[in-house]
Amino acid sequence: MPQLLTVRVKRPDRRPIRVWVPLLPAVLVLSPVVVLAVLAAVVACQVFRIDVVRALGTGWRIVSALPGTRFDLEYSRTAVLVAIR
Amino acid sequence: MNEQRKDILGMLAEGKITAEEAEQLIAALERDQSPPASSIGTRPKGRAKYLRLMVDTIDENGEPGRINVRVPLQLLRAGVQLTALIPPQALTAANAKLDKSGVPFDLTQLKPEHLEALVDHLDELTMEVDQPDAQVRVFCE
Repeated sequence: MPQLLTVRVKRPDRRPIRVWVPLLPAVLVLSPVVVLAVLAAVVACQVFRIDVVRALGTGWRIVSALPGTRFDLEYSRTAVLVAIR
Repeated sequence: MNEQRKDILGMLAEGKITAEEAEQLIAALERDQSPPASSIGTRPKGRAKYLRLMVDTIDENGEPGRINVRVPLQLLRAGVQLTALIPPQALTAANAKLDKSGVPFDLTQLKPEHLEALVDHLDELTMEVDQPDAQVRVFCE
């Protein structure tokens, strides 16, 4: 389960932006939206005749496998880093 | 503690060598035993955990660019499970389009277990592309 999302943006002539998002509190705050999204996914699975349990299980596996993902882009003096821990 | 280090300390305890000589011998021993600098080619054997994509570019203005992506192989394994969720009618439609485009590929024959086997063998993959203005490396670590 991912715990922390780190976003870092460096731009020329500006202060770098560093954001650490603790994901568990963020998910709790956004839980109404998460519930709606899950319901929408269930309805979509019913419409397209996809096994709901299997779809939710696969979604959970993907979310669980996210820690360790890192995207680091640099161009000239601009840099963006997104990391999930 | 290994045997050679014990011998050196033993000689020091017996007064056969001075503390400085013992220090030099131990330093030489550590130099001999230190592992070689890590590189793509010398990755220690073991199950790889991440797929790495590194791109270094220099554009026409001479500005350097760099992309460094690390994706857990576990995420790829989870991702291939999505293929099992594609509705059969979508696969049939995609097959028809592929066939029309001159790519007679049957997507219904593509099973998650085949893709998982592919992901499992990714840790042996190393790909390097060198161009005058770009360098691309794909490897597992």
